[in-house]
Amino acid sequence: MGQLSLKTVIKTFGDFQVVKGVSLDVTEGEFVVFVGPSGCGKSTLLRMIAGLEHTTAGDIVIDGKRVNDLPPVKRGIAMVFQSYALYPHMTVFENIAFPLRVEKAPEEVIRKKVAEAAAILHLETRLQQKPGQLSGGQRQRVAIGRAIVRQPEIFLFDEPLSNLDAALRADMRIELTRLHKQLGATMIYVTHDQVEAMTMADRIVVLNAGYIAQVGAPLELYHKPQNTFVAGFIGNPRMNFLPVTCTGVSAAGVEVDYQGQRLHLPVAPRPGIEGATLSLGIRPEHITLGAGEATLRITPSVVEQLGQQTIGYATLPGREETFCFVLPGTRVIEDDKPLDIGFAASECHLFDAEGQAFERSIDLAALTVPSAV
Amino acid sequence: MAFKSRDTRAMIDRYRWWEVVAIYAGMFCFLFFLLSPFIEGFLVSLKPLAQLFSSPYRFWPENGTFAAYVSMWETVPGFARYVFNSFLISTISTCIVLLLVVPAAYAFARFDYRGMGLVLGGFLAVSMFSGAVLLIPLFRLMRTMGLLNTYFAMIIPGAAFLIPSAIWLLRTYMMRIPTELNEAAYMDGASQFYTFRRVILPIARPGIIVVAIVTFIGAYSQQFIFALTFNSKTEYMPLPIGLYAYFGKQEVIWNELMAASFVGIAPALVIIFFLQRYLVGGLTAGAVKQ
Repeated sequence: MGQLSLKTVIKTFGDFQVVKGVSLDVTEGEFVVFVGPSGCGKSTLLRMIAGLEHTTAGDIVIDGKRVNDLPPVKRGIAMVFQSYALYPHMTVFENIAFPLRVEKAPEEVIRKKVAEAAAILHLETRLQQKPGQLSGGQRQRVAIGRAIVRQPEIFLFDEPLSNLDAALRADMRIELTRLHKQLGATMIYVTHDQVEAMTMADRIVVLNAGYIAQVGAPLELYHKPQNTFVAGFIGNPRMNFLPVTCTGVSAAGVEVDYQGQRLHLPVAPRPGIEGATLSLGIRPEHITLGAGEATLRITPSVVEQLGQQTIGYATLPGREETFCFVLPGTRVIEDDKPLDIGFAASECHLFDAEGQAFERSIDLAALTVPSAV
Repeated sequence: MAFKSRDTRAMIDRYRWWEVVAIYAGMFCFLFFLLSPFIEGFLVSLKPLAQLFSSPYRFWPENGTFAAYVSMWETVPGFARYVFNSFLISTISTCIVLLLVVPAAYAFARFDYRGMGLVLGGFLAVSMFSGAVLLIPLFRLMRTMGLLNTYFAMIIPGAAFLIPSAIWLLRTYMMRIPTELNEAAYMDGASQFYTFRRVILPIARPGIIVVAIVTFIGAYSQQFIFALTFNSKTEYMPLPIGLYAYFGKQEVIWNELMAASFVGIAPALVIIFFLQRYLVGGLTAGAVKQ
């Protein structure tokens, strides 16, 4: 129980199509995260699954049953809102008990379920307080408690941590991951925070302008982005793109030329691309100081020292976008002083003129811990 | 000088000393302007009648006495009835207004439907009519309905005149209640009515209290015109008309008139004092992250 299928789901507001035919299957107990830039339709999609937005076209199927026309409570789902949406005049106990009171559950059942939820969320000592007396993290836990007591098949989270400060967000991330393991329920989580997506998700759904740009496990998206949008969106700072010319294709990969330097990339070759202009993607964290298989002479205009890493920004000749590099630890790099940086061909990504990726020859299984399930 | 309130302290820090003095002087002038008729009215009620006509006029009473507060009941034996009538008419008018306005304001605040702007604009437009303009048509209406010389002749038009402004006032308040609360309740399976009763009404309580106070005061003050036009029976007369009883054929008993005025507004003050305790600001604190 807790399986969800979206079948060519469309949402239109007036003449504006926000969700443009999304299809997705979520299996039981899976933690799926929707990410994407503002306005990509991720929250709208979540609200459609919740039943808060009417679905213009397509089917939403939960456990084999089409639920398009069912109210939220009959879909077997619960939702945690970004803004908590707690009832300010009620105590924590009454807030958590609210769904049970709506369904007229017996008082002893209410007490038992609220106590269980409070124990899971460490809210036992706060039950008689009102939301106004709680911290942001505690309020969000109350909102989660209100979802838990309904024992839904699917939990929906709409950017639940975005109102918390960085330290609390990190704590709550761990708590939510624990909660997912403890409850074993299907969870669908919307965020614009990549760290949340990468650390919590079994699978990430990257949305762009109402379409799914890619669906995959976090490391799959990081190592094998299918297009320049996903490549640029996943990873922080974002991937650098350089224009290269294809000089040869072999069974082992594709050879490209960047300003007279030849790089042999281990990617799936395609016929008839010799001479074509392609896009070489290199993540900032894969750049090393000094010469590499390919070497660039850059003059950083800004250098950020974070202690654990050093981030530099430069503008390459003839290019408008900023080129970024991240070096581990503290490096003595001066602004406006030229230096050589390099990178290895095996770390590079390659995209065609339409922005579609050449599949990299990476064994993802070797990078992931086998699932216990 | 010790300041108890942190807000006052902040104000002191923000302004120069002479600005603070100017602000307090301005507030004092405004309050004096507002309260001086009441102060003089109260002082008049303490003066013996002869002293009121002495020349030169003395502001402060000489040998002040509360005798007028006793004698006023003998001069106009039906005075208690007038106060009761006023209180009754205002209370029932307020109840009717709240009964109609609270759900209406919620609907106007939460639901979007075709023609809503027109309806709201209509409410605003009719509230701009002066009561006096509509007195003759209202008189004909009351006569046709057989309501002349009843409480209803003062209650129904009174409530009707107060509804538009009350809807606008409460709608504005309810629009500030986060819609996520409705959505959360909907997700939890609550019906519209259940959400209204258990979630919205308690949160909207300060707004409802404000509307109740404004309506009660409005109902109390507008009785004069309706009572004068639609009622000629003494037993239904409200206070503003009842006060005319102190205007004798030979003289006006000013000290008793003033005493009666203060006694007459006492129930309204008690009601307002009682209700304002519930005007708790920040009741939505913690509902949603602002």
